[in-house]
Amino acid sequence: MSMSGTVPRRSQRRPTRLWRSIRHASGPWIAAVILALLAAYAFVVPLFSVDPFSLAGMSILDSLLPPRWMAGGDPAHWLGTDDQGRDMVLALAYGLRTSISVGVLSVLIGLVVGGTLGLIAGFVGGWADTLIMRAADVQLAYPALLLAMIIDGVVRAIVGGQRSVFAAVTIVVISIGFAFWVQYARTIRSSVMVERDLDYVSAARISGRSEIGIVFLHILPNVMAPLFVIATINLGIAIITEATLSFLGIGIPLTYPSLGMLIRTGNNFLQSGDWWIAAWPCILLVIFVVAVNVVGDHLRDVFNPRLKGRG
Amino acid sequence: MLDVRGLTVTLPTETVGITALDGISFDVKPGEVLGIVGESGAGKSIAGAAIIDLLVPPLKRTAGAITLAGERIDHLDAQAMRKVRGRRIGYVFQDPMTSLNPVLTVGRQLIDTMRAHLDITRGMARRKAAEWLDRVGLPNPRETLARYPHELSGGMRQRVVIALALCADPVLLIADEPTTALDVSVQAHILQLLRDLHEESGISMILITHDLGVVSKMADRVAVFYAGRVAEISTVTELFEDPRHPYAEGLLQATPRPSLTGRGHVIQQIPGVMPALGKIPGGCAFHPRCSRASEACRTRVPELREEGGRSYSCFHPIGGKAQ
Amino acid sequence: MTAPDLLVIDDLSKIFKRPRSLADRLSGRPASGVRAVSHVDLTIRRGETLGLVGESGCGKSTLARTIAGLIAPTEGSLRFVSSQATGRPPRVQMIFQDPYSSLNGRWKIADIVAEPIRIHRLRSGKADIRRRVDELLEHVGLSSSDAQKYPHEFSGGQRQRISIARALAGEPEFLILDEPTSALDLSVQAQILNLLRSLQDELHLTSLFITHNLAVVQVMADRIGVMYLGQVVELAGRKEIFAAPRHPYTRLLIDAAPGMDVHDRSLHPIAGDLPNPAAPPSGCRFHTRCPFATELCRTSEPPQTVAPGGGIYRCHFDLDLSHLPDTGLPADHRHPAVAR
Repeated sequence: MSMSGTVPRRSQRRPTRLWRSIRHASGPWIAAVILALLAAYAFVVPLFSVDPFSLAGMSILDSLLPPRWMAGGDPAHWLGTDDQGRDMVLALAYGLRTSISVGVLSVLIGLVVGGTLGLIAGFVGGWADTLIMRAADVQLAYPALLLAMIIDGVVRAIVGGQRSVFAAVTIVVISIGFAFWVQYARTIRSSVMVERDLDYVSAARISGRSEIGIVFLHILPNVMAPLFVIATINLGIAIITEATLSFLGIGIPLTYPSLGMLIRTGNNFLQSGDWWIAAWPCILLVIFVVAVNVVGDHLRDVFNPRLKGRG
Repeated sequence: MLDVRGLTVTLPTETVGITALDGISFDVKPGEVLGIVGESGAGKSIAGAAIIDLLVPPLKRTAGAITLAGERIDHLDAQAMRKVRGRRIGYVFQDPMTSLNPVLTVGRQLIDTMRAHLDITRGMARRKAAEWLDRVGLPNPRETLARYPHELSGGMRQRVVIALALCADPVLLIADEPTTALDVSVQAHILQLLRDLHEESGISMILITHDLGVVSKMADRVAVFYAGRVAEISTVTELFEDPRHPYAEGLLQATPRPSLTGRGHVIQQIPGVMPALGKIPGGCAFHPRCSRASEACRTRVPELREEGGRSYSCFHPIGGKAQ
Repeated sequence: MTAPDLLVIDDLSKIFKRPRSLADRLSGRPASGVRAVSHVDLTIRRGETLGLVGESGCGKSTLARTIAGLIAPTEGSLRFVSSQATGRPPRVQMIFQDPYSSLNGRWKIADIVAEPIRIHRLRSGKADIRRRVDELLEHVGLSSSDAQKYPHEFSGGQRQRISIARALAGEPEFLILDEPTSALDLSVQAQILNLLRSLQDELHLTSLFITHNLAVVQVMADRIGVMYLGQVVELAGRKEIFAAPRHPYTRLLIDAAPGMDVHDRSLHPIAGDLPNPAAPPSGCRFHTRCPFATELCRTSEPPQTVAPGGGIYRCHFDLDLSHLPDTGLPADHRHPAVAR
């Protein structure tokens, strides 16, 4: 007999698989809890506090206070304050919020753009496939960061100097999003090319289902899983990219600082021994990105058909 | 030649071990072709793999004695087992695509196999490799030695696999669905080849298949497997003309037979399906699908008993003595 | 009296072109390709089951997919004769070989079976559709409680039943079955074949039944076509083709399949290997393996000949000599050279 009786086939999608494997791997589980806690911190704390980056939130008198356990620390400021007297606990929450928002939004843009182009390339094939995949090849010749900088620069040149905060954030989000579409496009394209030739698609076509219907009702639900895996892993990369852009000073405006901007600010005070301003955002960034990657890696293993074995 | 007693294979899970083979016993006499038939899930391939200790993990052999030519081979270490495998027991897998190494030439694979098991020089191995290709019916054996597997057709590849299995001169050949992946016209070629080689060398053979037609042409005796147990072992004539176990009879009647009566005849079907691993019912595993099942079948497992030179495990055999 | 035609296939060919290389394009060489289906003429009559048998690569599945409209023919035509009552082309459904890839794993059984109903608006209203799905599931031997499950909860045989229910949901006038039982175990195959046969009798379906298994086609079909390298080499009624095949390939194919007779253990392989379909032999495509091949067979392609009984065959000679007086052949019509 074949082993088909014992090894689940690829098409046997069990909703419980995910949960079973998460229960049995404590690492990803812990990482997911950390992510949830950090996200709650980033999005709940600002609801109950004054924006430290507004005029009302600053307090010059409390500037450059070290963490509370150090000599000169203020019990009211657990992690110390920055040069403008902002509480670091608050500043970090706002910074993380911006980082996560920019990361998630840019991943969504990459997902939608790459997903759509990949879907078209895989399903339509022919010249559309050639065109889209050649563009992808060209884009892959540039590092994502450089590309984000180029897009950012071009858009800024077009929009001009007078831009709102909203426009600035949008530009960053789009720059990072577009820098990552290729991965989504390639992944979804290869999945679509497998699925479109399967018999269930033929059956739908014989029943008279339109091509659009086939794409959205049949193929899309079957190719989304690997996309979400990449999205998770890319979230980490997007946040780092944004942090790097901000650190280089071409990212988010000062009034809505991300973790990268906080690091950039803190960098100026490293020489004078005020290490905490740069260190806290650095540590938070590392924890967050590592947690995202652990979860993403795990999702990739769960959804990887090759690791699941064939029937 | 080969004697298997109480062979048990389990699939360990987080909580319990699932029994994949439940104390299987059978033997292969010298020079005999034993057919093992059954549907998927019956455990026939697992039995073949368990004999040569090549079970796909996490499947594990947990009990049983396997004796090859008077010598126990079930407790050998990995190195000693490698000498049995290939040298004393040849194995032909179902899929000729995956059982050959795609990056090595046919000749290289034959020569390596022979040099690993036989004490011969490279030149001699080379000469014998060409002889083997000729024996299994490949045209231009000398040129074929230099060919890669992908340059050969499915039927030719399966001939190479057979040459590989036999080139170290084993005493037993296990062929696991050797013709299932092949077309009808090619299948007859491979069966003919196996038969010729068997007649020439007198090697013992286990032929694992789901195809009753193949068994009827090739086997001397047949073991019918069901849900990890042996249902019946009989000579091929006894089985096809006078089956004892209701499952064996059901299989025979479920086969659509080419006959001139044509569409009028209804195929007898066995209701239900083979139970999945871990979901094998208590008592006789076949009882939910059996028209002869009684209370005893639901509660007790019928043992494999011998009667008049054949064995079957059934409380209510067809035409035989009840247990 | 024969029933009216439902499908007329006239000189149909399907060529799968290989993409031309740059060198080929520059030198103006035409694209090479495999003629998977080659000049096939067929008619399928209302109410009958036409069986098609052949080995892998003979083009039977390509022909099925062409008829189903999944691939376009390269040459020739394919015409459904619309029924007088409605004036529209008949609805077609298809049942596939692989019970795993033929059902969308993300859909519930209820939605899978209801899909053709919804698209063709065969029922309206949730309750009506629901009732129809339940009815269909019970019809194919499943229960209405299965409607809320997903495909992975079913075995291969049960999935094939779901496929059948989906096909019936489309209320097809023409059903294509492409190796519907080849992936199934023997006892399950028997169940599915019996189900299909009772549906044939009940619903008077017209169908095309494709298989490599001669015994299966004999149980299922009224007329049987035999394909070899893209051509239909013989087509005749079920009884005639098994009793008195006219094409040597048909005879050899029947003999090559091991029967279940334990007393006659002879094997009958067909000489040689299947030629490369991309470069079929000249003349008669079967001449490289035919024990009767002559010089004529090597050079000239045999025409399609109509047999006295209404069947057709592509051979320069006629294997069935029974209509000639005093051939001295044994009663089973077997040619002495074939019965080795």
